Amino acid sequence: MSLKLDFSLDNETFRRYLNGHAVVMHSHHYLALITKLAEDLSDIGGPQLLKDVVEENMWAVLHDYVQQNDVPSPLQRCNVGREYYSVYGLGKLKVGGTENGGEVCLVRSHIDEGWIKKWGRHSKPINHFTCGYIAAMFAVAFNKPVKSYTVTETESMAVTGTEGTFIVTLS
Amino acid sequence: MTVMRDTVVKSLAKITIQGNEDGLIPEYDVLENLLPAALLNSFSERIMAAAPQEKKSMVADGLVRAAYECGYHTGCGIITSDVFNDVVLPMVTEGEKDILRGAFAAFTAWGWAKSGIVQLKAGEKMVIRANDYYEADSGGDGLRAYMLRGLCQAFFDLTYAAPYPDGMDTYVCQQSKGIEVGDPHGEFIVTKKQAAG
Repeated sequence: MSLKLDFSLDNETFRRYLNGHAVVMHSHHYLALITKLAEDLSDIGGPQLLKDVVEENMWAVLHDYVQQNDVPSPLQRCNVGREYYSVYGLGKLKVGGTENGGEVCLVRSHIDEGWIKKWGRHSKPINHFTCGYIAAMFAVAFNKPVKSYTVTETESMAVTGTEGTFIVTLS
Repeated sequence: MTVMRDTVVKSLAKITIQGNEDGLIPEYDVLENLLPAALLNSFSERIMAAAPQEKKSMVADGLVRAAYECGYHTGCGIITSDVFNDVVLPMVTEGEKDILRGAFAAFTAWGWAKSGIVQLKAGEKMVIRANDYYEADSGGDGLRAYMLRGLCQAFFDLTYAAPYPDGMDTYVCQQSKGIEVGDPHGEFIVTKKQAAG
């Protein structure tokens, strides 16, 4: 792993930080239920709202990192996003693509595997969180603002129990 | 010797977690994640803002429920873990009360909230005071420490309700004060859930 990890603890509040951003630990039950809440609120755009929140917040984290560490190439910047994903415990990504878009394979997944542990396989893709994450990862890799990419989960680990596939296109 | 909160907090706070070679964090019989607090606050704020008035209560309940189930299952893993056995159990002399004190020390050490028990009537009522918690930074209206409400309820269920996993939803937690609305601290009151009807 090439990512620099600076874990710190505020000894007064006991808040934890990773590379300057406050982080907090939860379990798959939490993200599974947050995902389900978004799904249950589809009539008010719950899944898209979850994607947007993740994209905006992860863009800020990844952008800060590549700025502070002077990460020069799109490939290296993309790798920052890929490695951060694993450090957060979200799973393992294989990423391929260019500035025009690409394909991401989800090999292991906190959200899908957590969903299956909790409720079994589902009938449709549910990993809105990772769609937002990948959109942020591509935007930072290619020096673009949020909402530059559209990410669609075309194959879902929550459905098949194997791997997930996400297609990335320019918005 | 009863549980020495500061000792427990300092011991547990040293523990750092991150994903393994598969990018997963299997701990305490669950898969853990480590996410930016700002992201979680942002989701709560925006989903509440997006919900029409008639659905806001249901959405708030959903946010509490997510934290509750997380806390109930993870909390059981925590209080039966090797680290809890090593750090907390040697100090336990008052049974369930001490387990609960140790659990809230873990609660603080892992950055959920700098909090502690200020009133405890075994099996009946608990009042928690939180002097710092990440949801205090969230935007929105009204008392909105959904995560803390869920976790306080979960820990009381684990301590005083039927043994895991049969004790879910025995107690309920309400927030009575919040830093996010200008109070000096957050306050959370856990009581027995009233039977429906």
